[in-house]
Amino acid sequence: MLRYILRRVLIWIPSLLLILLGVYALAFFGAGDPIKLIFMRAPGDVAYDPVRIEAIRQSAGLDQPFLVQFGHYILNLLQGNWGNSLITGRPVWRTISAAAPVSLQLGLVTIVLTAVIAIPLGVIAALNQNSRLDYAILGSAIALWAIPPYVAGPLLMVALIVILPGGEIPYGWGGIFDVRVLLPLAVLSMQPIALIVRQTRAAVIEVMGEDFVRTARAKGVPELIVALRHIMRPVLTPVVTQLGLIMITLINGAIFVELVFGLPGLGRLTVQSTLDSDYPIILGITLIGASLVMISNLLVDLVYPLLDPRAGQARQGR
Amino acid sequence: MSSPALSTGPAEAPDETVSLWRDAWRRLIANRLAVFGLAVVALLILVALVGPWLTPYDFLSQDINARNQAPSLVHWFGTDDLGRDVLSRVIYGARTALLVAIVVTGIALSIGVLLGAVAGYAGGRVDAFIMWLTDIAMSVPSLLLVVVINTSLKPPLARWMDAKYLETLNPVFRETVWIDFVLVFGSMALILWPPYARLIRAQVLSIRSRNYVTAARALGLPAGIVIRRYIVPNALGPVIVAVSAGLGNAMVLESAFSFLGVGVTPPTPSWGNMISDGLRVWRTYPHLLAAPAAVLGLATIAFSFLGDGLNDALNPKQWRK
Repeated sequence: MLRYILRRVLIWIPSLLLILLGVYALAFFGAGDPIKLIFMRAPGDVAYDPVRIEAIRQSAGLDQPFLVQFGHYILNLLQGNWGNSLITGRPVWRTISAAAPVSLQLGLVTIVLTAVIAIPLGVIAALNQNSRLDYAILGSAIALWAIPPYVAGPLLMVALIVILPGGEIPYGWGGIFDVRVLLPLAVLSMQPIALIVRQTRAAVIEVMGEDFVRTARAKGVPELIVALRHIMRPVLTPVVTQLGLIMITLINGAIFVELVFGLPGLGRLTVQSTLDSDYPIILGITLIGASLVMISNLLVDLVYPLLDPRAGQARQGR
Repeated sequence: MSSPALSTGPAEAPDETVSLWRDAWRRLIANRLAVFGLAVVALLILVALVGPWLTPYDFLSQDINARNQAPSLVHWFGTDDLGRDVLSRVIYGARTALLVAIVVTGIALSIGVLLGAVAGYAGGRVDAFIMWLTDIAMSVPSLLLVVVINTSLKPPLARWMDAKYLETLNPVFRETVWIDFVLVFGSMALILWPPYARLIRAQVLSIRSRNYVTAARALGLPAGIVIRRYIVPNALGPVIVAVSAGLGNAMVLESAFSFLGVGVTPPTPSWGNMISDGLRVWRTYPHLLAAPAAVLGLATIAFSFLGDGLNDALNPKQWRK
């Protein structure tokens, strides 16, 4: 088990290196000269002085070939130095760690909400397959899935402003226990909930047709026990296996939700830094995002055999 | 399922194939939601094909006297801030949406089929390497990647096209459509191919070792016939389902990129850039947001229903009930 985890974690190193190399190459060959970018945006002293630009470039090591620069970046990264923002000059690590808690709290609460709301709904829909209740649940799940967060956000916002008399505009961040967080949470969890409802429903329907359920029924096990012991356990697997996908949905959703509701999280930082071509920050966010997805995929593979013993045997056989 | 493998006569096999699809069709038609999805998708394709002859106005013609009008009999969906007819733009947007959906899904599927099939057939190190690439592509924050690709490569590409135009005076280089094709469509395909690759690989792995394939090989059928008659029809079901859902996803993705400013270049009307324009003024002119958003939502829902219906119709496991 330990060796399996170690092997998985070791693969992350070349993977992350390749991802960073790709983004670094985009920055190096596509984005234009970072020194000129800094100069163009500098207030006051905007005089274009080639000699000075060259001096700054040399001192920053930006006149060296691509791979040398990339090597320097990685070496610095290994020492915990993520570089500095091109715009503000502040260390990337401090900028990201200031924004990350907002997004992480939102993400965690969204995952809990999704599990609490979506799994029961999916089970109810499956147990009443093809009834009106089933159609209602499945239909609203599909509708939720089809409404993009950047459309749902403003619409919900205006609805609340109209409905709540004298209500404040739900804009800004006041901590995870602030009332203003409810709307972003609702928008953020819409798509994960829709996804899990459909997955759970499909899983329950499939399990109900399995041989072991028929056997249990045939030997006279009470229906309630069949539901709890034989049907419920496999139902958790879709939720668990979709964790990586949910992570990506959350990372993408955070971009829109934080933009629409003015939350100072990683999503807004992403948009801001791409608009500014602030590559040190883009690289940092890419690294964090990719690591999150990889970690959740590893968690999935570790938890999966606990829920479905067949998967564990398959892995040991490999 | 195993009966075609036992039949050696060429006359029986096509019969079986036809009844497989006819059976699936019957199941699809019996599902009301799937029929709804199918109807909307068919309407969408029809509108996209004959759109230019359907639109009451040209999608670019501006009317300074009729700006920001609410929906009326003259302009069913109203007009936008330049006095352009919203209905005409929505209809023309169907063309863009379908183009995005088909081109992007086509590229992503081709990459997925190629890599997935190679991984599945070759196995071993090739398989491990391709699956490693797939995992990497799936773990990059996708929206971030697309935005970065577009913001960093669009200006240099546009400059290169301008330089080429001045050099050759060839009007091909003045069409911004090509930048859209290469960058927007390409980067979207880049983040959408991994699920297809995984699916195809899994299909190849599972079907290659089935008894009916072994039996067909043992009968001495040429590889081409084995692939065409036994492997492809059996692998096709899940792929059709994935493609149906993928078409809807690609449309939504394009609107997301338009919202972030990296979608199809205006003035080509796309539902995405209409939504993002509408978001700026929806407090005063809600119809500018409502019309494209509703149509996009309807199209996505239709593709979802159709995909679910196809899944039920093509999944032999559920036929027993």
